[in-house]
Amino acid sequence: MSVRLSSPEEYAKLLDQYDTWMFDCDGVLWHGDRLIDGALDVLRLLRERNKKILFVTNNATKSRRSYKGKFDQLGVEANVDEIYGSAYAAAVYISSVMKLPKDKKVYVIGMAGLEEELRNEGVSYIGGTDPADNTLEPFTLENFTLDPDVAAVVCGLDTRVNYTKLSIAFQYITRNPGCQFLCTNEDSTYPSANGLLPGAGAISAPLRYALGKDPLSIGKPAKTMLDCIQAKVHFDPKRTIMVGDRLNTDILFGQAGGVSTLLVMTGITQETDITGPNASPIIPDYITSSIKDLSAAK
Amino acid sequence: MQRSAPFFPITVQDYQKLVDDYDTWMFDCDGVIWKGNMPTEGAAEVLTFLRSKGKKIIFVTNNPTHSRETFKKKFARMGVEVAVDEIFSSAYASAVYISSVMKIPKEKKVYVIGMHGIEEELKEQGISVCGGTDPADNTLELVDTEIGNPSDVAAVLASWDSSINYTKLSKAFQYLTHNPDCAFFSSDDDLTYPVEGGVLFLGTGALSSMIRYALGREPVSFGKPSKTMFECIAAKHKIDPSRTVMIGDRLDADIAFGKNCGVATMLVLTGVASLADVSDIAPIMPDLVIPSIGDLRILSHSTS
Repeated sequence: MSVRLSSPEEYAKLLDQYDTWMFDCDGVLWHGDRLIDGALDVLRLLRERNKKILFVTNNATKSRRSYKGKFDQLGVEANVDEIYGSAYAAAVYISSVMKLPKDKKVYVIGMAGLEEELRNEGVSYIGGTDPADNTLEPFTLENFTLDPDVAAVVCGLDTRVNYTKLSIAFQYITRNPGCQFLCTNEDSTYPSANGLLPGAGAISAPLRYALGKDPLSIGKPAKTMLDCIQAKVHFDPKRTIMVGDRLNTDILFGQAGGVSTLLVMTGITQETDITGPNASPIIPDYITSSIKDLSAAK
Repeated sequence: MQRSAPFFPITVQDYQKLVDDYDTWMFDCDGVIWKGNMPTEGAAEVLTFLRSKGKKIIFVTNNPTHSRETFKKKFARMGVEVAVDEIFSSAYASAVYISSVMKIPKEKKVYVIGMHGIEEELKEQGISVCGGTDPADNTLELVDTEIGNPSDVAAVLASWDSSINYTKLSKAFQYLTHNPDCAFFSSDDDLTYPVEGGVLFLGTGALSSMIRYALGREPVSFGKPSKTMFECIAAKHKIDPSRTVMIGDRLDADIAFGKNCGVATMLVLTGVASLADVSDIAPIMPDLVIPSIGDLRILSHSTS
């Protein structure tokens, strides 16, 4: 059973109990480009109390550097080292876990942020934002030559997805022996400025279903993201809490990592997802309506 | 459950029995009548023979990209004369279902992810469409992903689209999520289809999965193996299922379709399926297996 936080004492207790605070961003700290009311105050409060803060986001369209830019724009204090995006985690996975040989490449379905993180990790890639692949002309075998050096396909949210990129990725996975199929995250939707729209999970779906095989997923709730963080940051899971708005990514991620979990209701999860006949089996430790509520601990 | 293994016609008598047993012959096209742009050897002759014996011929294809008129022209280029009424594509089935079964109100529209052929079939049934080949929706720039009044659109129809893009996906998704009454259809569910050299291309089922995954909801699908296609055919032609055979190259589409419709099923090996796919432990088993429809010429040669 989740604890529904309400009294100032409960919030104060939370602040005492946890030294490391991991925050999802979309739906927790901001909606699109608008800060959620009270988010700034709470983050300041945590920093005043010398808490370690980490931002853990599945959004693979931006690099950590770009995210820092967004934080700066919104007036939120953040260091690049505190930001863990699924694009970064994917690049680290490919370079340091998969140990992709230097003469091999990755075919990308994704945006500039993912490409930047791959470059930073020394991973060679083709596709992605290459204008040659960003066309609505029909895809034909006449226009396509299989590159034998492509050893993996990595797929993230791509708002310029098209038949050509999906087809090329499919050709590589089915025709290059041993070609790996990775995705940055599997979120079915993402919160855009205009409301929910198809997410990264939707973009990789054609490959998943046509292949009859799931990709290796990097972002929450997969452990890969946590491994990436633990490789860089020391934290005590018993004194760590993950704050998120999505049960099957943020909360599941926290649970898999052995940390406590706090669900906020300012994002994707509705009351009907946590109570009643269709309630999710994923139970967060704590629930509160908004991150703003933590200010009551002052 | 007792299952009999498929029967492999070999002798003239075996083939003659097929002609005696079946008055309606339903043919898949790709991998049966033709492969890509190459007609199957003997296909034209066999169809002429069957017509001479008074058999009803129906063509049933999941390919949603062409209108029936365009298919008729493709047949003609291969030396096969067919009537438009004999052709049932998933595009046509979609249009017939939406107009005559769903009975979409005249003032409502269908948001289409698809190409010119399916738009043509929808318009021919008097259905108003938006999206589709509209240049505003055929762009990689996210200029305008906002939708108008969601209740203007009563259905989203997903079909094969070589210019699928995020604008179309976003709009379709918004129509389906902002209007709880918006129906979700797909022309067919084929995940892949074969092109030359044994290479597979992504089909409607793969493309529509982008919406299905985001939405967490499955569409009503018209193509084989769904029975809807058969209901369209039966609405237009008088058919006795007990004297009908479905001939195709795909176990999961054509043969499953035949079983769903309660007709006999015949697998050919000129397309996707190979002999290795036919076994008495396979989940879907055809009643009959022949190497190619061209083998039916054994009859036209023996009676001449």
